[in-house]
Amino acid sequence: MANLIELRNIFKIYGEGLESEVRALDGVTLTVEKGEFVAIVGQSGSGKSTMMNVLGCLDIPTRGDYLLEGTDVRELTDKELSRIRNKEIGFIFQQYNLIQTLTVLENVELPLIYQGIRADDRYDMALAALDRVGLAKRIKHKPTEMSGGQQQRVAIARAIATKPPIIMADEPTGALDSRTGHEVLEFLQQLNREGTTVILITHDNGIAATARRCVRLQDGKIVEDREQEVDWL
Amino acid sequence: MNIRQAVKMAWKSIIGKKGRSMLTMLGVIIGIAAVMTIVSVMSGYAAKTMEQFSAMGSNKITVNIYNYMYEVDENGNAVSVGKDYFPDLYAYCKSIPQYVVGITPEAYASVNVVYGTKNSANFQWDWETQTGQMPPDVYYVSDQYSACNNLTITKGRDLSELDVERYNQVCVLGSQAAEAFFDSADPVGKVLQLNGQSFEVVGVYAPRLTGSSAQNSFIDNFILLPYTARRLLGGDRIENFIIKARDGVSTTEVATRVRGFLKGLIDPSTSDSYVSPDDRGLQYMNEQMGMISLVLGGIAAISLLVGGIGIMNIMLVTVTERTREIGIRRAIGAQRSSIVTQFLIEAAMLCGIGGIIGILIGTLGCYVAGNLLFQMTIYPSASVTAGALGFSVLLGLIFGSYPAIKASKLQPVEALRAE
Repeated sequence: MANLIELRNIFKIYGEGLESEVRALDGVTLTVEKGEFVAIVGQSGSGKSTMMNVLGCLDIPTRGDYLLEGTDVRELTDKELSRIRNKEIGFIFQQYNLIQTLTVLENVELPLIYQGIRADDRYDMALAALDRVGLAKRIKHKPTEMSGGQQQRVAIARAIATKPPIIMADEPTGALDSRTGHEVLEFLQQLNREGTTVILITHDNGIAATARRCVRLQDGKIVEDREQEVDWL
Repeated sequence: MNIRQAVKMAWKSIIGKKGRSMLTMLGVIIGIAAVMTIVSVMSGYAAKTMEQFSAMGSNKITVNIYNYMYEVDENGNAVSVGKDYFPDLYAYCKSIPQYVVGITPEAYASVNVVYGTKNSANFQWDWETQTGQMPPDVYYVSDQYSACNNLTITKGRDLSELDVERYNQVCVLGSQAAEAFFDSADPVGKVLQLNGQSFEVVGVYAPRLTGSSAQNSFIDNFILLPYTARRLLGGDRIENFIIKARDGVSTTEVATRVRGFLKGLIDPSTSDSYVSPDDRGLQYMNEQMGMISLVLGGIAAISLLVGGIGIMNIMLVTVTERTREIGIRRAIGAQRSSIVTQFLIEAAMLCGIGGIIGILIGTLGCYVAGNLLFQMTIYPSASVTAGALGFSVLLGLIFGSYPAIKASKLQPVEALRAE
């Protein structure tokens, strides 16, 4: 399989050269192949969120190369990075990150709007995504009128609406109770079975057990990278 | 992201915070309304005044010939001595028809006019209610007064040179004066009593202003007498004369010629003369109007500037409040330009809506101010309205650009971290 993601000796350093210098990522090298389900595990402060931001093209590493499908991300313009975030990656955040003033449907349509898709097609695509997460009947609601689990499902629908090859989930169950959290993880496994590469960031070993591969971060360094028994949900 | 989507988003955001949007727009509303009112009222008034000026005829030269030597007559009254230079001036002007269309004295005759039960002494005009009847102005003139003042005969005949020479007791009426004394009846052949002397009406002039332009104008409310009637009706020596230059001939040039002629004619020990092209009044008025417009317009422009800064301020607050939203949008694929477009359009729409409200209020303001100040109904012109709308949108684009660019420069990671 081709390397989808290739990190070579990545550093993310805040306040470099100062006494208070923080090395959020301290020389990380990692390769992720197409179709993998990787859990990135670490305690708070281990650098796993920075890892996700770098992988998701939300942040630029201080040093090192990041090749996404063979392209060096550091050489891309804002426009090209925006396109990657829009088409290649679907984000799922701990805090859902829905826009409160928009309805459920409008939230899911948003990435499609930035893709410039016609209104009719957009509606169909957004509805199909919402249908997959079981919320097709609540498209007119505002996020504030929904439970946390439902909001996270809206966020998942938004992430999959553009059918991206990569899903990045940052503590997706962190704000949910165990039952709804379970549903979310099950859904990620389902997406992975369909061929989507999933990168799951978590501090919880139990949650990491849903992934085939587990990468452990500590103080910005990879301390463990192993295949494991999958806890199929 | 296309513009339609951006407009929809902006509309949602504006409607979502109605109270704040309204307060934000207030500066623009007041500014635009003030500018609309000032510009429209001033230009409306100027246009109307110009209309009246040109109705009375342009290209004129005023001539004053003063006699400053007086004698005391047997009754103890001061009587100016020295020659009456008008016949010479009249003859001179007739001799240069390539420059001059006509020459006439222009002197008020303080005369009481009576016809049947109508007496000019009882005429009264109420400016407050704009009702009543203005007493007509009575002028001593030559046969060329009509040529100098854009008047054309509609009934009977004009004054003639013979009327002047023979001291004929005749008069010609302006349309408003004719209506005042005779209503719709034909005045020609009727006899008016002027200070108890009989004067036959020989003609009536056509109105120079009609319709709404004639509103509150009295330029056709006059009675013309041959200036030689002064011997019968009394009045001061005539010192004011009007010369009308031919179209296309410079009034300055004609004034120079007349000045030269009078210099050779007048005895400087008893008399003096003063010749001036008449465009000055108009010029002066235009300058005055320009000054007033500039000052008032400046004040209005400052209020617009303040309004614009208000927009910028609120847009900055909006950007700060929506930092997280910007982060989310960036994370799911919004380019910088999409963020700029979104906030620019929001600012432009905010100002545009404010502009529309301002235009409505300004139109009302024009109506009220026009009636209150100048007793005329003024509405803003289409170009002023379009300009005001365009300017308010431009204002939004100018003052929205800094907050919009600031929003687009936010790093996605940091924006997402905002609460």
